[in-house]
Amino acid sequence: MTEPIIPPAPEVLEAPAGPYVYDYAASPQRQVVMPKTVPLPSYRTYLAEVKAAAEADEAKWKKMQADYETAKAKAEAEGKDAPKPPVRPVPRKDDNDLKTPWPQEAKDADLLLLQEVLGAKVEEIFEQAGELTCQLEKGAIHEALTLCREHEGLRYEMLADQSATHYPAANDFAYSVVYHLTSISRRKRLRLRILVPEGFVPESACSVYPSANWMEREIFDMLGISFANHPDMTRILCPDDWEGHALRKDYPVVGWGQRDVAFREDRGGMIERIALQKAGQLGINLKQPKAD
Amino acid sequence: MFKNEEMEINLGPQHPSTHGVLRVKLRLDGETITHCKPVIGYLHRGVEKICENQTFFQGQVWTDRMDYCSAVANNLGWAEANEKLFGITVPRRAQYIRTLLNEFNRLASHLIWLATHALDIGAMTVFLYAFREREDILDMNEAFCGSRLTTTAFRIGGLREDMPPGFEKMARKFLAKFPTCLEEYENLLSENRIWKKRTVGVAMLSAEDAIALGVTGPVLRAAGVPYDIRKAFPYAAYGEMDFEVPTQTAADTYARYLVRMAEMRQSARIIQQCLDGMPEGPVMAKIPKILKPEVNEVYHATEAPKGEIGYYLVGEKGSTNPYRFHVRAPGFINLQSLPKMAEGGLIADIVAAIGTLDIVLGEIDR
Amino acid sequence: MPTPTLLQSIAITLIQCVLVVLFVFVVVPLTVFAERKVLGHIQQRLGSTRVASGHIGVTGWMNRGMWKWGRIPVLSYWRGIPGLVADVLKLILKEDIIPAKADKFVFFIAPAISMVSAVVVFAAISFVPGTFFIFPAWFPGLGGLPVSGGIADINVGLLWILGVASVGVYGIVLAGWASNSKYPLLGGLRSAAQMVSYEVPLAISLLAPVVLTGSLNFGEMAQRMATGTSAWGLVPQVFGFLIYLTCGFAETNRLPFDMPEAENELVAGFHTEYSGMKFGFFYLAEYINMTVVSALAAGFFLGGSWLLPFGLQGLVNQLLPADAWIAGPHAIFFVAKIIFLLFTYIWVRGTIPRYRYDQVMSVAWKYLIPLALVNLLLAAFVRCAV
Repeated sequence: MTEPIIPPAPEVLEAPAGPYVYDYAASPQRQVVMPKTVPLPSYRTYLAEVKAAAEADEAKWKKMQADYETAKAKAEAEGKDAPKPPVRPVPRKDDNDLKTPWPQEAKDADLLLLQEVLGAKVEEIFEQAGELTCQLEKGAIHEALTLCREHEGLRYEMLADQSATHYPAANDFAYSVVYHLTSISRRKRLRLRILVPEGFVPESACSVYPSANWMEREIFDMLGISFANHPDMTRILCPDDWEGHALRKDYPVVGWGQRDVAFREDRGGMIERIALQKAGQLGINLKQPKAD
Repeated sequence: MFKNEEMEINLGPQHPSTHGVLRVKLRLDGETITHCKPVIGYLHRGVEKICENQTFFQGQVWTDRMDYCSAVANNLGWAEANEKLFGITVPRRAQYIRTLLNEFNRLASHLIWLATHALDIGAMTVFLYAFREREDILDMNEAFCGSRLTTTAFRIGGLREDMPPGFEKMARKFLAKFPTCLEEYENLLSENRIWKKRTVGVAMLSAEDAIALGVTGPVLRAAGVPYDIRKAFPYAAYGEMDFEVPTQTAADTYARYLVRMAEMRQSARIIQQCLDGMPEGPVMAKIPKILKPEVNEVYHATEAPKGEIGYYLVGEKGSTNPYRFHVRAPGFINLQSLPKMAEGGLIADIVAAIGTLDIVLGEIDR
Repeated sequence: MPTPTLLQSIAITLIQCVLVVLFVFVVVPLTVFAERKVLGHIQQRLGSTRVASGHIGVTGWMNRGMWKWGRIPVLSYWRGIPGLVADVLKLILKEDIIPAKADKFVFFIAPAISMVSAVVVFAAISFVPGTFFIFPAWFPGLGGLPVSGGIADINVGLLWILGVASVGVYGIVLAGWASNSKYPLLGGLRSAAQMVSYEVPLAISLLAPVVLTGSLNFGEMAQRMATGTSAWGLVPQVFGFLIYLTCGFAETNRLPFDMPEAENELVAGFHTEYSGMKFGFFYLAEYINMTVVSALAAGFFLGGSWLLPFGLQGLVNQLLPADAWIAGPHAIFFVAKIIFLLFTYIWVRGTIPRYRYDQVMSVAWKYLIPLALVNLLLAAFVRCAV
């Protein structure tokens, strides 16, 4: 009897160095990029922007002309050829089917009527992309909604949608709350808008339009604006003990409440090691060919 | 010796007839519902938040997954809202194909409603009959865009591709047989005594209540209000179509059933007109590869099978993502009327009420 | 014919019991299978064609066999049969969960009550009047002895049947109560009200045959109903049959009256909390009850073990020679009628929706009871006047 060949015990590698911990706080989904502008559509702002742009354009053109004059004078003094006269740049014309809808002056009778009745409580009225917008003083929303529903010339029977937007970059307000009214009998839509600072509690629309109930709860849940005189101002989509308000701009996409997830390190290597260990225990050498 | 006590019971979130994960807190006096409060949010995925952190184009796949039974209708509303935001004019052929697909989708969604609603009331055969026809529509979806349920069918500015060869033939074949299928369902249900007993006068919602609660779609039309966004604010190619808005005045579950059945006939009619009057031309508008809006906000509403689906978008100058992406989901608003419908009825009636509202929790919770 | 001793009659009765239980436990799975298949065909699909367990174990073996034999077109229809075996195995092997706050004893006893009361009814049902078969002379101990067509040929058979069948409701009510859960409780209460209500028209509709025949013994009633009544007896028979069948649907909790377990309202009704073989007992009891109701309908209204229903056999027999094969009783007719009625159960389930609970009650009290009373009067009139 010959001695059975005992294969050398395979070297046992070091144990894996603990679970790999994913640095959740540093993950890109966790990073919040705060907006720098206040994209609040407004005819007044638009006019101001257009005016500023035209002035800037004019100033640039003036500067170009002045530069040209000096350059020309300099060239004449040095006896060189005169430089080319500047050409006023025209905005490039895109060859596509895209025509940006700019804000326009309010011409619709409904908006004018609102302005007439509510007077100074209407901050701004304008039309854009065929939609009517009326921005109101934040305390006057309930009055305006009642007016829109009751007034003989308006008759907006249905509150189709209500939502809000967070504007962290704005100075004098934090949220805009918009009400989209539909007049079924007159086939018209109207948008009312109020600008609300942080902590302000606007009047609920529930008493005028009962459909606002859940929409206001959703706004409360998602943006944290609570409404006064609302029958049931609780969270609706998130659990009652949820932290934070998801649709604020300072809320990360993945949320705050998520647990850190630990991943195992290098599975393939581990399986190989385990296989080698098991084989060693059974007396099988996986690494060397069997002896005769 | 005896005392009256009300029982509190949770209908859902796991229950065969709450169509997903709806939970309804009920207070019962015997079997009569004295108090009803829907509790939602079990399927909340934060669609709005996600869409605000993705580009304008990427939002479409999320709209598919809101109301997964009518993905095309969601896509259409989304595409048109974006087009309104950027001011894009869509070619006429694309409009027609969109209308065509949207109506097919309306059929599919109504068929699913019919199937599940009938199953809730106990008629299990209609379920499979309706799914048989829905299968053909899903096949057509697959032929058009490669996927059956979550279609992602449209692009901002039109369509990615034209109709595939043979699609028109498929559609015409389907249209030829569909009226007989509808008759088959109606034979089983319309004059069935038990079906009528279970639906006539059940889950009433008057026109005033419906309008006050913001209810839209077939539920509103069954109360006698002929409000259909396809007619009231025509979009896509609906302005050129000849169709009727079926209404009923009874405002009960049976009236909603009749309205939806009639709507299916009208949808078939619209599809026929789309096929017959299909214009030639491109299917995609000329738009830049990267879309950056000016400061603008739009609210665009379209008529989804369940009601008015509205997209509220705010564009930020120079950004490729929407600054605000809000969806007015028809199911979310319609579900508010459930207490009004169910209180005072029996447990069996709330099942009928949930069925007749045609809710999909994916869009309610978003 | 030799008279059996006490021991011999006990042995014969035991054999009869085994045969009846065998019949029940063959008919029930076949009904389940038929339900799948018939419902499938009503709904334009195939019904069950395979078992999920694939190629493993007993069902796997049967499964493979079925697919192999399935090449023969006739047999291809039976491919789903291993599913039944798999179902039973699943029910037996599944973990039996008892809710923590349930009343354990009642929870345990409830399915047994349902099951026992369903099976015991068969004692009074005779499949064929008189002798079913005679043991051959070589049979050890029992050679030459006759075996009758029913276990207990008691002269208050109908009372026994109605009495024992109504014990079944206790099973359901107690199950609903003992589960200590809300949906089962609602299901149990519904069933208590519903089954008690439907007992009344059911019993009254069965009184019409009693009046017509003047007997309570199942075999005698069946015989007289099939052959003995006059032509006028046809009216209360047909009428009573329809009332009886409607009540039967309600008594067995089948669509359109499946209130206690209305799936879309009460999840699974009284057996929501049951699992494993306890649930299996309720399931079995439901199908056995269906068989019982069908057997009664077949016996009293459809001519029992004679060929023609509604007493028409009596009229036809006058034209036939006395020794004609179809003039006499045969167990096969009885079973065929049961099977047809079971098919009707499935047919109805596939066709119509479910009633609402209050409507179910109003059907019983407002329509069925008055109709059954009228039918009883009619039967009495036929009995006295004709």
